[in-house]
Amino acid sequence: MIARAERLNGRAVWTTLSSPRSIGILGIGLAIVGFWLALPPATLRTPPGPVALGILGAAAGIWAFARGERRIGGGAVVAGIVGVGLALALMQTQASNLEGTFVWSALIAATLRWATPLTFAALGGMFSERSGVVNIGLEGMMLMGAFFGAWGADKTGSWLGGVAIGLAGGAALAFIYAIFAIHLRADQIVGGTAVNFLALGITGYLYNDIYGNNGTPQNLPAVPDVHLGWLHSIPPHGLGNFLVNSFGSLNLMIWLSLALLPMSYFALFKTAIGLRVRSVGEHPRAADTVGISVYGTRYAAVTLSGALAALGGVFLSLGYVNAFTENMTAGRGFIALAALIFGGWRPFGAFAACLLFGFSSALAQRLPDLSASESAAWPVLFQALPYVLTLIAVAGIIGRSIPPAADGQPYQKQ
Amino acid sequence: MVDDERPVLELRGVTKHFPGVLANDHIDFDLRRGEVHALLGENGAGKSTLMNILYGLYHPDEGEIRIKGEPVRINSPKDAIARGIGMVHQHFMLIPVMTVAENIVLASEPTHAGVLLDYRAANRRVEHLAGTFNFAIDPQARVENIGVGQQQRVEILKALYRSADILILDEPTAVLTPQEAGELFEILGTLTREGLSVIFISHKLNEVLEIADRITVLRRGKKIGTVPHEGATEGGLARMMVGREVLLRVEKAAAAPGQPFLEVEDVHVLDDRGLEAVKGVTFDVRAGEIVGLAGVDGNGQSEVVEAVTGLRRTSAGRVRLGGHDVTGSSANRILDLGLGHIPEDRQRRGLVLNFSLAENLALHDFDKEPNSRFGWLFPRRIIHRARGLLKQFDVRGGGPQTLASALSGGNQQKVVLAREIARDPRVLIAAQPTRGLDVGAIEFVHQRLIEARDSGEAVLLVSLELEEILSLSDRILVIYEGRIVAEYPPDVTEEELGIAMTGGRGREAA
Amino acid sequence: MLTAVIAFFIGGLVILATTKKNPLSTYRAIFDGTGLNWFFHVGSHKIGIPFTDTRVWFPWDTASRSAMDLQQTLIIVTPLILTGIAVAFAFRCGLFNIGGNGQYTVGAIVGVQFGVWFAGLPGPVHVIIAMAAATLAGALWAGIAGLLKATVGAHEVITTIMLNWIALWVGSYLVGFNGPMQDPRALSAPVTRPVAQSARLDVFWGFPTLQGLHIGFFIALGALVVYWLVLNRTTLGYEVKAVGFNAEAARYGGISVPRNYFLAMAISGAFAGLAGSIDILGWEFNLDLTVVQSVQIGFIGIAVALLGRNNALGIFFAALLFGALLTGTSTRNLDPSVFKPELAGNLTQIIQGLVVLFVGVDLLVLYVWRALRRPFPRRRVES
Repeated sequence: MIARAERLNGRAVWTTLSSPRSIGILGIGLAIVGFWLALPPATLRTPPGPVALGILGAAAGIWAFARGERRIGGGAVVAGIVGVGLALALMQTQASNLEGTFVWSALIAATLRWATPLTFAALGGMFSERSGVVNIGLEGMMLMGAFFGAWGADKTGSWLGGVAIGLAGGAALAFIYAIFAIHLRADQIVGGTAVNFLALGITGYLYNDIYGNNGTPQNLPAVPDVHLGWLHSIPPHGLGNFLVNSFGSLNLMIWLSLALLPMSYFALFKTAIGLRVRSVGEHPRAADTVGISVYGTRYAAVTLSGALAALGGVFLSLGYVNAFTENMTAGRGFIALAALIFGGWRPFGAFAACLLFGFSSALAQRLPDLSASESAAWPVLFQALPYVLTLIAVAGIIGRSIPPAADGQPYQKQ
Repeated sequence: MVDDERPVLELRGVTKHFPGVLANDHIDFDLRRGEVHALLGENGAGKSTLMNILYGLYHPDEGEIRIKGEPVRINSPKDAIARGIGMVHQHFMLIPVMTVAENIVLASEPTHAGVLLDYRAANRRVEHLAGTFNFAIDPQARVENIGVGQQQRVEILKALYRSADILILDEPTAVLTPQEAGELFEILGTLTREGLSVIFISHKLNEVLEIADRITVLRRGKKIGTVPHEGATEGGLARMMVGREVLLRVEKAAAAPGQPFLEVEDVHVLDDRGLEAVKGVTFDVRAGEIVGLAGVDGNGQSEVVEAVTGLRRTSAGRVRLGGHDVTGSSANRILDLGLGHIPEDRQRRGLVLNFSLAENLALHDFDKEPNSRFGWLFPRRIIHRARGLLKQFDVRGGGPQTLASALSGGNQQKVVLAREIARDPRVLIAAQPTRGLDVGAIEFVHQRLIEARDSGEAVLLVSLELEEILSLSDRILVIYEGRIVAEYPPDVTEEELGIAMTGGRGREAA
Repeated sequence: MLTAVIAFFIGGLVILATTKKNPLSTYRAIFDGTGLNWFFHVGSHKIGIPFTDTRVWFPWDTASRSAMDLQQTLIIVTPLILTGIAVAFAFRCGLFNIGGNGQYTVGAIVGVQFGVWFAGLPGPVHVIIAMAAATLAGALWAGIAGLLKATVGAHEVITTIMLNWIALWVGSYLVGFNGPMQDPRALSAPVTRPVAQSARLDVFWGFPTLQGLHIGFFIALGALVVYWLVLNRTTLGYEVKAVGFNAEAARYGGISVPRNYFLAMAISGAFAGLAGSIDILGWEFNLDLTVVQSVQIGFIGIAVALLGRNNALGIFFAALLFGALLTGTSTRNLDPSVFKPELAGNLTQIIQGLVVLFVGVDLLVLYVWRALRRPFPRRRVES
């Protein structure tokens, strides 16, 4: 956490701004703006504006690319072309459909809703990986949280009970994983995959055994929404309206995930315990030689990661869908993992990536509305959007992201 | 400065077995207050094992440890720290991405309210501590950005911060230039004057004679004896260490250099972080000579080797091998054109440990006849050829079908040597070819390198061991911060080399 | 191997005990459904040698109920062998291919489409074309992950999982309602047209109308031989193994690591894609939306490969084990009064998870056990 801020004089600022990197980023920005102009509220219906901006963005990209900024430059070129293409495609649709689809306040609320389970899981993964244990099993731990959350809420009749039991379920699975990953020094990728299978089997088994064909009860106690009606009165009128529609009735667990972000940041980067966790993940032997218990730290971190991932699952079953279905996490654990890597193993970076993936999911749900005919098959394709985006993100950035040095390496005491 | 009361530390009959090996055999050792006691021995003699026992990393099978007369059990580094023992490991126990201060205070951090880290207090304490012992160090610098000598001081400060009064240094000069070693010795002088006691582990005779008050020699897990500094000689210590007379210099005939086989011309190379690690290097290696490339670790020698062998792209310049321009060629093509490469780290880069010796010996000939044809492999031929090579290079401890992981370090290196030399290359690059080997194996490797030279190969030797460079090379190049800063004939002194290696070139004497 | 088997029985037993069902009778019921008991009923029978009129003596009754169960088991074993190889081959290169599901799906989609097209071709040619196309498609699909690994170092676990989901949704689009591949004659069901008769694999045991065992089984066995040969008798296999054991040393030896990452992934995917087409051409004949959305065979392939220790014979027996487990717990073969088949299906999943979990460590267990019994010679010691 060394502050990178160097005092820049005017000349230095100019050099930075005119560097290929900045120009490339500017190109991406231009392309996005061009595309955005075709969306509500601007809703341009004629090509020149977006096309010009897209071409400009692509040109900036080519300039940057030629000067060695291959990734960012290439990104700007792709963004320019895709932006123009999408903008032109949007102009072919009905303006009314467009406005029905791109209700920004609703999109923001939906983005947060989709991002929340990812955020919980990514934060969980962060603690585990910062301590040096790769956690491919996030998916399974989420699933445990989702099932045991629902079951707990059903049995105790209270959502608090559900949250507690769901959390315990995820933590228990994480603890089992920890035994294998830490003491038995099993391959962490294989072990994590095993944990995912186990969770799928255990939750599916218990679900069928307890609830059978009827599904979880209709009257499952849900985690309440937080109603912030007062947002409405924030002037000007449009803004208040927008705020209340975006943030006015979010689930309690969404706010919890947002609160956990700064807490995780402080825990990891500003406390003595955080320093020790990171030291174990970077150089376990160094930590061992100053008397830090490597195994103890890793057990705690992995178990905590299971608990956090489970919260993501609990949100799915008790905060969102209000039911449990088999394999309801649908790969979210892996997307969270990608978000974690994408965000450089840092809480806010990971959160930004979660928002991106959340937004794509939210959009995927709404884009089918663009289609005029009810029976068209292609809207199904949008379901693949978050996964495609994750794939692109992994391909584009992750090679650059540096993991904790001892991530994935079992530690053997001498 | 040595006050003779009872020793601050005593080891009595310490014994440690590893599966198949007796690493420490009833070793007695004692340390007096304010002295530097050297522990001398070859690689594998049991020095590090003994010290790891003392530091709580291993547990002895037998024997007793007494600190200030009191018998103690040391179960973990935590216990050792509590007893006032500090250790500077050969491979530094520092976290590169963290700051100096963070590394030093780790596990006994100053905090606000017991939770939040108090960075300011940490920096202040480190500065204060460094001031006490006259170290110049920036507590807020990241460890990865400071030099090796500085890193070693951070390690020493780590021990002092934990109020150590017994300091163990494991091969502390291995990574230092002669000048930096001199500075370290001064620091040790200061520390012993303050009343600290130092255990100094080394296999280098000259520096042990320079720094130690007493010297204990270990050989194959047994204590051979303890001698005072007065009256000890290099020859005598060497005999104790190895158990026979040792040739301190390698016998070789004068070189008869022929045409240049390897020509490197103004080569620039970027490192993993995208920084320029090699900034325009030009040299050549001729047939029938050994050229030594000397330098402190991390001055671009690895990148030079990787660029020449096609493992890393050059950003500018030319490389010619036997007249062919091989700039930007693949490693495979360069190897095919007649390059042998003994890589720096035999276990990580030289061998596939889970492959058999035969498979390892075929590592870049497997796709050529007679080992294979049209992509079809003939394992029997590979094994047959391996049998001959293993015999020729005197590899012991296994046959062609033995896994490489089952061999000792010396025999593993012989396998690498066999593979690279048997190909009869025009250019042979040997990077740290004797690291971690015992004297017998070192002699074997040196002999083979000289034979390679005498048979007309051009040999480039990259080593951090000045002694090795001096005894083998016909010409010596010094690399500093990615540039070749000096060239010397083989009769240059270590001091001169050392100065050039730190970029001094006579500007400042040690 | 033994450790894993024991582990999975213990795991199963624990779960059964917690739900208060008699584990032994449940296992017995599952076993009876697998058809493996067929081998225990030796008698004197006559069978016809396939594709001829000759009839010869044979010790087992090939037309019994358990024979039909065994055919079902072997039908499932066939793709399991192939997806097992798909995982194992990548493993030998140090890659973890958990994208078998997606590669299988892609293979099935391409297989069904090529089976529908070219209806006029002679049988063997049509089959070969359809299988080749599916194999190639699987290779390309996995090749994406391989390429990303080779060029930018993107971790194959994440990319293959994402490719699974993408394959699932693209497949859902193609096969689903109003999708381009949906059968125009059956608009009420999300299913493709059936493949032409010429593209169907011959059944050599049992009745074609009752889903007898098709010759795809031999293709899978052949694939095992190919797998062994490639790994042990070709320079490609040597390179792949060298990279898998120590990529750095392989690179120093002049082997191109990225090239091998790509090739290993593509070859892996080829096996999984082939599996998809064999299921289509062997017994499914068309592709159903629910099948696309519930493919698990690639995941089970992971357990097969791990339990089989990535070696050919091991993969065969591990595939047999899991194939038997799947058949034995299917709704058709498991008596619901003994144990609910839906539960048993999940039980299979748990066992599979336990196997994967334990296989990772039982090497270690063996090692410790051996180390306790006798000192291990020649272990190097740090100085």
